[in-house]
Formats: sequence, C-alpha cells, structure tokens
Amino acid sequence: MASEQAEHQSSTASQGVLSELMLRQETTLLAVIVAVGIVATLRNPAFLNPANLTDIARAAVIYFVMGCGASLLMIGGGLDFSVGAVFTLGGIICAWLLVWGAPWPLAVLAGVAAGAAVGYVNSVIIERLHVPPIIATLGTFFIVGGLCVQFTGGEDIVPLPETFQALGQGAVLGVPYIVLYAIALGLLFWFLLEQTPFGVETRALGGNRKAAIANGLKVNRLDTILYVTAGATAGLAGVIYAARVGSGQVAAGGPSVTLSVVTAVLIGGISLLGGLGTITGVAVGALLLSAIDNALIVASVPPQYNSIIIGAILICAVAVDHMRRERLYKRRR
Amino acid sequence: MAIAQPDIPAPALEMRGVGKSFGNVKALSNVDITAGVAEIHAIVGDNGAGKSTTLKIMCGIFRPDQGQLRLGGKSVEIRDASAAHHLGISVVHQDLALVECLDIATNMALGAIPRRGRFRLDRRRMETEAAKVLDDLKIRVGSVRTQIGLLSGGERQIVAIARAVRMDLPIMLLDEPTAALGVRETAHVGEILGELRQQGKAVICISHDMDFVFRNSDSITVMRLGRSVATRRTKDTSRDEIIGLITGAIQGDTASSDPTFA
Ligand SMILES: Nc1ncnc2c1ncn2[C@@H]1O[C@H](COP(=O)(O)OP(=O)(O)OP(=O)(O)O)[C@@H](O)[C@H]1O
Ligand SMILES: [Mg+2]
Repeated sequence: MASEQAEHQSSTASQGVLSELMLRQETTLLAVIVAVGIVATLRNPAFLNPANLTDIARAAVIYFVMGCGASLLMIGGGLDFSVGAVFTLGGIICAWLLVWGAPWPLAVLAGVAAGAAVGYVNSVIIERLHVPPIIATLGTFFIVGGLCVQFTGGEDIVPLPETFQALGQGAVLGVPYIVLYAIALGLLFWFLLEQTPFGVETRALGGNRKAAIANGLKVNRLDTILYVTAGATAGLAGVIYAARVGSGQVAAGGPSVTLSVVTAVLIGGISLLGGLGTITGVAVGALLLSAIDNALIVASVPPQYNSIIIGAILICAVAVDHMRRERLYKRRR
Repeated sequence: MAIAQPDIPAPALEMRGVGKSFGNVKALSNVDITAGVAEIHAIVGDNGAGKSTTLKIMCGIFRPDQGQLRLGGKSVEIRDASAAHHLGISVVHQDLALVECLDIATNMALGAIPRRGRFRLDRRRMETEAAKVLDDLKIRVGSVRTQIGLLSGGERQIVAIARAVRMDLPIMLLDEPTAALGVRETAHVGEILGELRQQGKAVICISHDMDFVFRNSDSITVMRLGRSVATRRTKDTSRDEIIGLITGAIQGDTASSDPTFA
C-alpha cells in the first residue's frame, strides 16, 4: 500500500519521499524497541524499573560510542572489524597508566590515542599494501587481541582510582554520566556528518569513490581520517567501559563486540555500500540491540533466542536498506 | 617545431607525442592535440580509439608514459584531479562522475564546497549558487535538493555539464556530453559551449555525434587505434573526409610520419 502511494508521487515530491523513507527506518526501529519492551514487561514488569532502563541505556552507550566512528567509516565506504579488539586495548592502556599513577585525563587520552593508532595502521595496510578492508582489519583484530593478552599476562588491571571510576559510574538526576558523554559525542558526529564539508566528502567517497577522485577529493587522506576516527571511538568506548566496571579487562572486547557494533550500525540504516545513513539511526540501532539483550534476560528467555532474533532483525534491516536504494535510484531510469 | 610568435597567443592546451599503456594494452601512442583559446575543439573516433584515455590524461586522472602536456605554452605535469582544477581545467566525464546519494546542489559543489567560517558547510550558498548556475544556463531539473539518483540519464548529463560550467575555469573538457540527450537538449548544449567560447574559454569535446560536431566545433582531431591521425579546421573539411579518417578509408597525416609505423 505504501509502495503504491510512492508510485503516485511526482518527481518534485521526491525529496519528500526520501525524507519519509529515511524517517521510516528509524521510526520502524523505535516501534520494534517499544514492542520488545511491551513483550518483556508482560513477562516481567521489572523491565520498566528505572534501574533496568538505565542499564539498557548504559549498555547502548558502548555500542553507540563505537558506532559513531564505525558508521562514519562505513558511510565513507570502509569497514573496520578490529574495533572489538581496539575496545579492549583502549581500556587496558588507560587502566595501566592509571595504575602507574598517571592523571586520568592523560590516561583517557592515551586510551583514545592507542585506538587511533590502530586505525592509522589499518589505513596504511589498506592503502599501501592494497589489502581489502575486511581482511586488513580482521588481521589487526587478531594481532591487537593477542597483544592485549601478552601485555597484561591475561590478568585484569585493578584497582582503578575512585576519581576515575566516578567518571563512569556517577549520574546527575538519575542520568548516568556516560549517557551524557554519548550524547555529546553523538552531537559532535552529527555535526561532522551533516554540517561540514568533511561530512559531505565522506558521503561522496562512500557513494561513488570514482566520482570523488574525479572531483579532486583527497580520497586517501579521507580514508586515513575515517579509519583513525573509527579506531579512536573504539578506544574511547574501551576507556568508558573500564571506568564503568572499574577495571581494565582483557576479556572486555572480542569478536562479539565487533559483530555487535557492526550489527547495531547496519540495523541503524548505515549502508554497507556507503553514502547513506544518519547518526540518529546508529543511536536507535544501538538502543535496539541493548534493549533486546536486556529484555531477553529480564524475561528469562534462553540466550540462544537473542542470537536468533538479532540475526533476523539484521537481515530485515539490510533488506529494507536495499529496497530503499532500489526505489530511490532505479525507479526513474 | 612551432615557434611561438608574439602576436599569436599560445594554445590553451597542447599534447605532444603522448603515449599510454595499461599493462599489455597500448591505449595511446603519439597523440598530438592542440586546442586554442576561444575555440571548440572536437575529438572524434571509433569506440576504443583512445578518446577518453586522452581526456583523462589532460585532467590528471592518468599520467602519460611518454610525451608532454602544455598549458598556455608551458609544460606541466598534472598529478591528480584537484591539481587539474588548480591549473584551470574542468571536466565532464563520460560516466559523469556524479554521486547518486547526494543532491544536485551538493554534486555541483563537490571539490569546492562553500564554507561558512572554517568548518561549517554553507548549504544555503551551495544551493543558491547551484540554482543560479542552472538558471543562467536555462536548465530545468526541479529542485536543487533532488537526489542525483532520481534524475534521468539526460538530466544527469545536464547537471554534470552545469557543474563544470560553475567552476568557471579557462579550459573545459567534455566526454560525449550529448550521448544521452534528445535533439532539443543537444542543441542547448551546443549553445552553452558557444557561450563558453565567447567568454574566451578553450573547450575540448569528445563526440560521436557528427551533426553536433559540424554544427558547433571550430576544429576536429580524428583518433584511430590510439593515435591522432588528423586535425582539420571544421570549415575546411567535410563529413565524408572525417568519416573516412575515422574508419581508416582515408590515410591520416601523422600515421606516415610515425616512426613506429614504418
Ligand atoms: N583503465 C584501463 N585499463 C586498461 N585498459 C584501458 C583502461 N582505460 C582504457 N583502456 C583501453 O584503452 C583503449 C582506449 O579506451 P578509451 O576509453 O580511451 O576509448 P574511447 O575512444 O573513449 O572509446 P568510447 O568511444 O567507447 O568511449 C581501449 O582499448 C580500452 O580497453
Ligand atoms: Mg570514451
């Protein structure tokens, strides 16, 4: 029915169709979140407890912070599988410096910088050695993961100073600090993507790399910036996680974190083919993922259902994304 | 060879003895092209004759293996597309080089996006500039916020041409700008090129459309099998001669003087 309506739109209304579709992805996801919430509440009213809702938001923060850099990179046509290991690295580097007595701003910065450095290495491997992104970052995923274990001897890094833990565990008016960090970061990335020439060039790069080159964009420099950014936000998420749990954990990240971030970003409407996507979509995707995680636990559904449901949602979301493109670009040819 | 005379301005763009190979494929050898200021210079030839490759060398997408490129009489090396832009060259590519998921205004601004302050994108200026250029060229494609992906092939072609015109640079290269256009739009593009000539720009245009070439160009270079085989003033030649040169029925000038040919 909706498709029939769209057929009748004249070309001048195409902008309306577009924003409508863009909106629809996010509204659909919000509807799914609400549905998940209703089902979970029916099985266990504790789902709606403020403490539980805060838990959902806290878990979403980690996906979202990592998702900010990862989605920008994907909009620019790249892909980063190393984020799950970089997440661990960021937390460990930060915790290690704190234990050695470094002031927390320095430790935080070092955790983020370590992530950025891995991002830079990724971009060098991809650009200079011409290794496809999926393979290059899978390789650094394993290498960084191994280095983390080597560096810590497999032991978590404790105890972290109270002042640092307070940054990850405190709240104002019931809103956890880390949710505020995520909102600030989200605003920054929204600004970068929607309000700067850099954002436009990133979309152009992901939308049509050849056209970007032909129009004189510095595509290699853009690639580098995007991989560094993806690494930096993964490192930052690791730092935030370390503050939240009060230790630098060797087992914090791993393949499941990489896959969750990529999944959240894809569900949020970022296209693997580049060019399309919004930061609000990533936020909703992250929220959906953590809401499902939480709802299934609260409703005491066996964990395997979690995987099954997320897999199904991922496939649906990407199928919808493909349909969007088809409708947008093929209709008038 | 040619000695620059004070009263004759140096050609806007010259190619001398340019060769280019892709692995084992020799795409170009010994290509000579001279395009004058305030002139429309057509390049014609069969499919695969090397026209697009020649154009891509002119705008820095490929680097020549041999030969040289001169702008205003000075030998230059063009490293990439943004270097070409700085040297005063704008391009309309055969595949148009548009980004489907971005709108008309953004596509027209790519490579030179207007800013407000240091970091911010000036979307309003981007849109008014695009609308003004389209308006000046009497092009109607609806709102400048329309996504390129929604436009027809002909509309895209027109937007790609408008983008190059917006750059307002002294040299403009076009690769088959009328391939997707109807009769009226083709004539319109002819008018646009005529206006550029009047503004003193050098226009180099690849085309398969003989009507278009004979109606609008000042001179024609024929390419065949990766070589430039002849250059004629449009008013001194005929369709039969040009078609003969394209097919090889008529011997070109440079083919015989080419050492590798003997
Ligand atoms: N990037 C490339 N890699 C390998 N070979 C190429 C490349 N670009 C062009 N060629 C080859 O160079 C030759 C000339 O191609 P070119 O695109 O310049 O022809 P053209 O005259 O523009 O043809 P058309 O009229 O079909 O556009 C062809 O044989 C083509 O296969
Ligand atoms: Mg061609």
